[in-house]
Amino acid sequence: MKREAITVRNLSYSYPDGTKALEDVNLEVYEGERIALVGPNGAGKTTFMLHLNGTLRGTEGQVEIFGKSVDTMRREEIVKEVGLVFQDPDDQLFMPTLFDDIAFGPINQGLKEYEVRERVEKAISSLGLSGYEDRSPHHLSFGEKKKASLAAVIAMEPRILVLDEPTANLDPRSRTELIGIINELNEREGITMVIATHDVNAIPELADRIYALNRTIIETGTPHEIFFDGKLLKQNNLDVPDVFKLFEVLRCFGFNCEKLPLSLDEAISGLTTVIETEGGHIHLHIHEHTHEGVKEWRNKYGHHVPK
Amino acid sequence: MVEYPEIDRYSSLDSPMHRFDPRAKLIAFTILIFSIVLLPNLKLALIGLLASILFLIASKLPLRFALQHIKWVFLFVVPFIIIMPFTVNGTEIFSFYGLTMTYEGLEYGILVAVRAISAVILVLPMIATTRFDITIKALAKLKMPNMLVQMFMFTYRYIFVFVVEFQRTWRAMAARGFKLKTNVYALKTIGKALGTLFVRSYERGERVYQALRSRGYTGSPKTLVVFKMHVLDYILAGTIIGFAVSLHIIPLYLHS
Repeated sequence: MKREAITVRNLSYSYPDGTKALEDVNLEVYEGERIALVGPNGAGKTTFMLHLNGTLRGTEGQVEIFGKSVDTMRREEIVKEVGLVFQDPDDQLFMPTLFDDIAFGPINQGLKEYEVRERVEKAISSLGLSGYEDRSPHHLSFGEKKKASLAAVIAMEPRILVLDEPTANLDPRSRTELIGIINELNEREGITMVIATHDVNAIPELADRIYALNRTIIETGTPHEIFFDGKLLKQNNLDVPDVFKLFEVLRCFGFNCEKLPLSLDEAISGLTTVIETEGGHIHLHIHEHTHEGVKEWRNKYGHHVPK
Repeated sequence: MVEYPEIDRYSSLDSPMHRFDPRAKLIAFTILIFSIVLLPNLKLALIGLLASILFLIASKLPLRFALQHIKWVFLFVVPFIIIMPFTVNGTEIFSFYGLTMTYEGLEYGILVAVRAISAVILVLPMIATTRFDITIKALAKLKMPNMLVQMFMFTYRYIFVFVVEFQRTWRAMAARGFKLKTNVYALKTIGKALGTLFVRSYERGERVYQALRSRGYTGSPKTLVVFKMHVLDYILAGTIIGFAVSLHIIPLYLHS
């Protein structure tokens, strides 16, 4: 059994005006795991993440990092364990140049100058930002700023990374790059990941497990478990990957596969298996239930047929 | 593309002023600026102006860029040139409906203008020849209070974010048909837009603070920077400070 990296018990938080943002949140994340945090806008994802490194303190409940309560940890200790990457890179990058920004965390950790320089160098090259050291943030593109924010946090070498919407507003190429970088950090450095995201198409590639949050934890499970739970999805305005939807439609047309794929990779291996077992081709047709099936499918996702 | 108000746009050029150590540069030019601003007579001030222009030329900054910054000062000194000649008592040049223009007044007006313009010209070789973040780091090395250094640093970082945000608000207003006119409605609308901008800045401030805390900020951000004074830096700084001092000392001997 792996160690628990993050343990949250009965966490509740209210804004100063009394509005409840989080209510009785319970969650555990194991070391090396990749967690996706999904939920509609205003569900409290960002507020929740700010609790993971003690920036916000719950009105009730406990947050533990590797078995230690954040309430008893010193600031430097928490910051060393949990790196938080904010959604808006302009909030995250506050120093005049990229170098200063990435060096900021390591300097605060009290590292020696040569160690700081090493950390900066490593973070910059692992995100492909070499040559940008002296640039000011306003001379970087949004995608570069997003990568720079991640570099600034990984330079502190935390064991847990908490990312708020890492793929939001990125162009397709930067998005793919960032997903690759996050997964590489997980595989190579064994960093535990908690990722808040609306990007359902990225979840199968990015997460081992999903937590659905809407003020409180509604459900947890693997991407397959969550995306197959139609009722849960509908009640919480959650969406599923496009590949999954397409194969649901194909199923209405008689395509027969055991497990609906969530990602393109899964689709490729699924198609290969089906074609091989069915004698070299797949068979699609319109039968008596097809139209009904498609109609039901549209209803499920709220795609109404225009009149 | 956004036009940023960058004072350090030409900091990557190469000139004696660019190579000058930022700390020595700040000290030497600050002394020279004070020296010129405190000069008592026009002849000396003109020497100061001439020196300022020479420093500007030595910095190789494009003339257009320099004039862009200097022109604003003209707006402030022009009233002096116009008002002073009529308000200082002295030798009459001519009289016009009870308004008397005096030689002393004219001289004083021009003196004020020359001193102001020299000072602003000198700011350019001092500030515009170094990347602004390095200027801030130099100030920190010169033991400027940490609070001020941080204010400079964050202002410098977020002024650009603010510019973009203001521009976005402005475009959103224009896109919905808003035209700037001098009526109550337009002023009210601008007031509201500015209010929104303030609230947004406040919220951003809060998020930035959270981001700072998340990376172990404890009140004094430190940076790594290496400055090294060379012989030439000492010579140049010595020359500038020497010149600044002699502007005040030499006249004493000439008069005696």
